[in-house]
Amino acid sequence: MAVQLPGFERRVEPRPGLRTSLVRRYREFALIARDPVLLISLLYCGLFLFVFVVFPLFRGTANGFLDSTQSGPWFTRLSFKYIARYFDAYYGPYSRQVFTSTLVMGLLTATGGTILGFIFAYTMVRCNAPGSRFIHLLALVPTVSPPFALALSTILLFGRNGLVTAKLLGMEFGPGKNDIYGMDGLVMVQIITFFSVAYLIVRAMLERLDPSMEEAAHSLGAGKLHIFRTVTLPLLVPGIAGSFLLLFVESLADLGNPLFISGNVTVLSAQIFLAVAGEYDYQKASALAFVLLIPTLVVFLVQRYYVTRRSYVSVTGKPTGGHITVREPWIRWPFITITYLTCLLVVVLYAAIFYGSFASAWGVDYTPTLHWWRLMAARGVESVLDTTFLSAFATPLAALTGMIIAFLVVRRKFSGKDALDFVSNLGGAVPGTILGIGFVLAFSTVPTFVVGLLFVLLAIFLARLALPNNGRMQAIVVAVAGGTGIGLAQLAPYLGQSGPFYLVGGAYLLLAVAGWLRRRAGVRSGGAPPWRTRLLAAMGGYVLMGGLIEFIAQPMARISRSIPPGFWANFLFQFSDYLKTFFQTPLPLVAIIFAFLSLLVLDRETGRSRLAITGTLVALIAVMCFAGKPLALIGTPYIILAAFAVRSLPASVRAGVAALQQIDPSIEEASGMLGGDAQYTFRKVTLPLILPALLAGLIFSFTRHMTSLSAIIFLISARWRIVTASILSEWEQGGVSIAAAYSSVIIVLVLIAIGVLYYLTRRVFKGRGDVDLTLGA
Amino acid sequence: MYLVLQDLVKRFPSRGGVGEVTAVDGISLDIKQGDLVTLLGPSGCGKTTTLRMIAGFEFPTVGQILLDGKAINDLPPHRRDMSMVFQSYAIFPHLNVFENIAYGLNVQKKSREEIRNRVAAVMELVELTGYENRQPNQLSGGQQQRVALARALVMEPKVLLMDEPLSNLDAKLREQMRTEIRRIQKRLGITSVYVTHDQVEAMTLSDQVVVMNQGKIEQVGTPTVVYRRPATRFVADFIGRANFVTGMVRDQGNGSMAIEALGATVQVPASREEIPTGAIVTLVVRPEMVEVDSERPHAVATVHRAAYLGNVVEYDLLVGDHLLTVAEHDPRHETIHDEGATVPIRLIEDCIYVLPNE
Repeated sequence: MAVQLPGFERRVEPRPGLRTSLVRRYREFALIARDPVLLISLLYCGLFLFVFVVFPLFRGTANGFLDSTQSGPWFTRLSFKYIARYFDAYYGPYSRQVFTSTLVMGLLTATGGTILGFIFAYTMVRCNAPGSRFIHLLALVPTVSPPFALALSTILLFGRNGLVTAKLLGMEFGPGKNDIYGMDGLVMVQIITFFSVAYLIVRAMLERLDPSMEEAAHSLGAGKLHIFRTVTLPLLVPGIAGSFLLLFVESLADLGNPLFISGNVTVLSAQIFLAVAGEYDYQKASALAFVLLIPTLVVFLVQRYYVTRRSYVSVTGKPTGGHITVREPWIRWPFITITYLTCLLVVVLYAAIFYGSFASAWGVDYTPTLHWWRLMAARGVESVLDTTFLSAFATPLAALTGMIIAFLVVRRKFSGKDALDFVSNLGGAVPGTILGIGFVLAFSTVPTFVVGLLFVLLAIFLARLALPNNGRMQAIVVAVAGGTGIGLAQLAPYLGQSGPFYLVGGAYLLLAVAGWLRRRAGVRSGGAPPWRTRLLAAMGGYVLMGGLIEFIAQPMARISRSIPPGFWANFLFQFSDYLKTFFQTPLPLVAIIFAFLSLLVLDRETGRSRLAITGTLVALIAVMCFAGKPLALIGTPYIILAAFAVRSLPASVRAGVAALQQIDPSIEEASGMLGGDAQYTFRKVTLPLILPALLAGLIFSFTRHMTSLSAIIFLISARWRIVTASILSEWEQGGVSIAAAYSSVIIVLVLIAIGVLYYLTRRVFKGRGDVDLTLGA
Repeated sequence: MYLVLQDLVKRFPSRGGVGEVTAVDGISLDIKQGDLVTLLGPSGCGKTTTLRMIAGFEFPTVGQILLDGKAINDLPPHRRDMSMVFQSYAIFPHLNVFENIAYGLNVQKKSREEIRNRVAAVMELVELTGYENRQPNQLSGGQQQRVALARALVMEPKVLLMDEPLSNLDAKLREQMRTEIRRIQKRLGITSVYVTHDQVEAMTLSDQVVVMNQGKIEQVGTPTVVYRRPATRFVADFIGRANFVTGMVRDQGNGSMAIEALGATVQVPASREEIPTGAIVTLVVRPEMVEVDSERPHAVATVHRAAYLGNVVEYDLLVGDHLLTVAEHDPRHETIHDEGATVPIRLIEDCIYVLPNE
């Protein structure tokens, strides 16, 4: 009478041969290729990640093995000089010491930070502490402030001439006495800076812990401590382990704090920085970057694959476990006390920064003054404006790319999906210095390989989709048009510095005009319907503006020099630069978008004209990819934009993934069944539902951009300055109060942005989306 | 035939990454226009995968799907002129009831007038008039289900697909809704494919029942055929309850067979397939096909368990080495036998079905 057991072990057939699996992969891509929007999204994300994450990382670390004093092809220049230093008698001890210090710092920070984070989380979730809203906000402030803000204020308060140590406690620091500098101060600052990451993760896990498990243990006779030891803690292990590993990585990647406060102790990130900034030895920097990359990568992999797979607590579920409260005072009060003390410390530290910017001469004269602020306004306005402009400009770029990647990762199946996910997270996980060096090495000169690859992929994409089913024609078009384009590209510089812009922009406009003329002449194949001509005109217009904008920007700059120096003069001068930035996007990157738009332009063309237009468009893409100095981005603002985007990408991707996972896929399928194609479904169903998360992603990206240091420190130039780097240089010159003023400005701007986010999600979306702040970590 | 599935096969790469799993293994089906066909089977039998292939969410590894004579394999879901009701209803949380139901009509850019009329008509059909402005989170499960149904029906699709739409409802509501669905489907005459693992639903709703197991079709037939003349032991066991009694063919001819079973000879209708005399066979004896306290008994059984359920009395009766579950439907129930008692029983011969031994 039993029902047949469901056959879960179906006959699993033996692994199909290589050919069959290749065929199947091809078919998968063919399916994606039915949807050009999807294909171009995939192409765009893949290219973006390759060009700005994989390639720089590779160049950044591989360069450590190439002798830069010689010239010649790479295989003749292999050198293990700097790696060998770890083992030789002269350099060995110091190098090994640095390595050991780095690991020790990481372990101590990770341990301390996880413990502190756990205490905070436990207090907030289970101890019913008064004022928990404030505690939560305070715990989050370190995540959104500049990386060395706390080091700065620690020194102000507890340094050799600190307010607390020198003035209040009257301590004196001579040689041999232990001061705040060194491993102890460094670890302390790092713990306070990073513990919130652990706090957010452990808190999320505690909240989602099913109370019935502990209740079951109770009913089986276990006492509170026993339950904690045998039930609660083991279930939290993935969260705790995850936090530990994450903190370890963050600590290793930290550049700002070690530079300020590590004293005689040197750690790898600082050593890399000094190799570039002090010794101009890129080979050494790359070799060290390679050494730093290894533990980072290993820990990162372990955290992703071992820890997250073992999680027993559903992370996407709604919080259910918040109802257990601890009543025993001997447990509650120690936890609450530690939490309050830490909060107090945080408040005091930040207050020190703000007050420091107003002190006449910190350490000597504490009377408040606006002197330093006025100085900053005169000198530092450019920095602040540049940073805000670039952060804001990079934000939609990063958020959009992150959302596209999240969509591809959650909603589509294809080979290499895991790789896409992994690489997008890698960009934010590796120490920024490594990425910075990589950018410098990769983009100082034209990376021909990358540019060539870019063109080939885009040309194949356009040819295949424009001339389907005609392999031979596709190949011919790519070869001929490509060749012509490359040839034209060589001519472009003769038209002046903005030559490529004029050439390409003009060509698109000509196409637009040709289309318009054909329509007027009533050509049979329809000519181009109005919107296509307009599209071509817009494309051409945009590129042309890249050249024409000079005629607006230069007069602006001249005017700014003629008005009296001060805030407005600076502002006007900078603004002329910003205008140019908006229009002079590197052409190879514009080519990616234009490749897709070209497909739209070709819609409904047939026969000969289709062939001709395709060829022209491919040729134009070639020109865009090869004209001038494509992708030699060092010194331009675009390299900073790229660095920002790469660093904040993981946060946007996580926000997008979390939001998409909460949407039942059958909702999108339902839209499909009702006749909505992929774009309609996205516009009318998916987008409204993920809007809160999208917004959160935007704000977190902006925050991350404003507080970046290690990735962009090598990318700044005379024309483009970043506040965090300015803080560093001011500090080195002894301008403590100016440094504090800069820091305050960043903190305030970031807090305003977060405030806007809170307001919008609470009031406008009325809690339609739950914004999870762990995503900002 | 309106909707035709030809030799559909669907293979997925298996979870571990090694090898493949065949979810659907050669399904062929002819569905008449206006019929409601149920795909019935246990979890993992391939019914949902088949439905998703019809809808266009999965691409068949092998095989073809034809709608009204035209192959639709290459059409994406939004161009197939079919509607689907999902197990989770998949109501758009950011639109109210009216906007949800009107969604598909908005995609087709119909006029405001037409949309209003059609939505009103279908809302009346599912008895949701007056709920136009409600948000989905203000609706009960049953109401959400009706919104999902209305949204699918307003499109006047060629085929209506339903993926276990009632499994999230409580028992009483489920009964109500399944009669509703059947009533509406019959009234509109929409060809429908319904997936479920609940055989009571299948029996109540269907014109044709397709019993599936491990990716293959075990039997296609009307509820009566599938119940009274199951093609395989699996079908007999899955639909309703069955006792399987081993016997041997003594004699056959004239559309009936003499089977020796339970120590007696029973005259049953001939089997569907050819079975040689002398072969061992399995008799499908449903619980209601055994007469207890018979005056012309086939055998004497010992009561192993007795349960009074109100509308039936159930016995587990031991006969030789067979344990038969028997259900006695008698409003009066003069006698309810105790455990250990012996009772004479008789098989109601013309209901019994003969299956060859597998």
